[in-house]
Amino acid sequence: MTERKSPTAVLHEGPRALTDAQVREIEESSLQAVLDVDIDDVIEYVHKDLKSLPDFTTLYRKYLKQRWDVYDLDFTQDKIDWTEKMTEEERQSFIAVSSGFHHGERQVEIELPVFMIGASEEEKLHIAAQIEDEARHTVFFDRFYREVVGLEGEDIMGVLDASFPWVSETFVGPFGLLAYQADEVRHNPYDERARVRYGTTYFLWIEGVLALSVMKVTLSYARWRGFLPAYYTGFTATCRDESRHVQGGMRYLQDAVRKDPTMINEIHETLRTILSLAGVASRRIYFEPLGWTEDEVTMLFFQQLRRKLNDVGIDLAPDIEEMLQFVQPQLAGG
Amino acid sequence: MAEPFFFSAEWAADVRAALIAGPSEQARASKLQEYWDFFELIKGMYPASWALGCRTLPAGLGKGPAYLYIQWGGGTVTDCKIIGPDDPLDATYVLNMDYADWKALHDGYDAQRTVMYRKIRLEDGKLLEFFKAIYFFAECLAVIGAVPASYPAVAGT
Repeated sequence: MTERKSPTAVLHEGPRALTDAQVREIEESSLQAVLDVDIDDVIEYVHKDLKSLPDFTTLYRKYLKQRWDVYDLDFTQDKIDWTEKMTEEERQSFIAVSSGFHHGERQVEIELPVFMIGASEEEKLHIAAQIEDEARHTVFFDRFYREVVGLEGEDIMGVLDASFPWVSETFVGPFGLLAYQADEVRHNPYDERARVRYGTTYFLWIEGVLALSVMKVTLSYARWRGFLPAYYTGFTATCRDESRHVQGGMRYLQDAVRKDPTMINEIHETLRTILSLAGVASRRIYFEPLGWTEDEVTMLFFQQLRRKLNDVGIDLAPDIEEMLQFVQPQLAGG
Repeated sequence: MAEPFFFSAEWAADVRAALIAGPSEQARASKLQEYWDFFELIKGMYPASWALGCRTLPAGLGKGPAYLYIQWGGGTVTDCKIIGPDDPLDATYVLNMDYADWKALHDGYDAQRTVMYRKIRLEDGKLLEFFKAIYFFAECLAVIGAVPASYPAVAGT
């Protein structure tokens, strides 16, 4: 990879239009070819189908074509970049961001199976595929932390424990809520209101807003500097997987509201809780070594949330609009 | 002086004092002031009560299930006591945790993962309302875990 445009350039360019050739490149690239795909195109690709969301069988068929082998990645060059080329400030900033993902991927892997119980048969196929995706993403970060960052652990949880000191205390907001909402769904798997609340936290907030925003921060840094090729490849492939997850999640929420318009209240109530927490930070993260400012990351959050809500047709109550003014970046995703 | 036993009346009195005093200077220094401002904001107006249970209380510590009951009001703890299995259980939020996880919290395991990994689980109460104060709850849980107490060893722990 060579040095490219600055990480934040796309913020000021606004939404881009993907050509058919670009869409084909994203959809059909092998794992090795993903290295040449622009992360901004992949994030745009997430939104491509939000206005006319694909059905769950289509998403499952895409999964079968886009599945990749996490053990095909070779982190040798990444290790050299990490230890010899990146500065200590860059490493600390990077790990502060990526640790939220290290833990986030594990959380969204283990909290999803319960949602399958009350789903349609077609959606079950998509959810099963998504669980496998999230397990693969968990292994991806486990390998990155072992082979590049150099953390040790007897097992996956051992490495998670080793990276936890970098995770912000506010992580427990969205991810603790998801765990407890998963318990609600487990107790009443066919309670559609509980499922919509769970889906709002998981699909709209964690995957649609947090994950896509924070993915872009580290990926655009790696692309800009020409560093960490296996990380860029694996995490961009992860972002392509997330496009199916976000589209499936938005499809679920859209269908639920169309079937019963009062479900919008469940989305709003969940967002009120999430946003009441999202205005608080426990640590100051320095994004500057990665080419970002905190204001730019916040702007990215807003763009992601607005596009999901607008494309899927979810209106916000005035008090929620007001709460949005105080949102701060949450460095996590899944 | 010997430390009070976990889930004893003396321990509950110490918990009350610790919660009123709040997180340690060391804990405060490790996080941004804005986080603590939010903590104090919630503390100042928190009207709810918690019943924090121990599902597997060792026989030597009393009859289970028992709960640590904490009532908040006016920015302070207005009641803090142990509720036994024969006492009425009436709290805004009822949560439960195994004895081994209480001991792990006491030994330094963090409150965030205690929640996120469901070592403590919400059994009764409005979930979305409970989570609006989750940072406050997690910090208080850490304070409670740090209160000196004797945790007798039991088989398998």
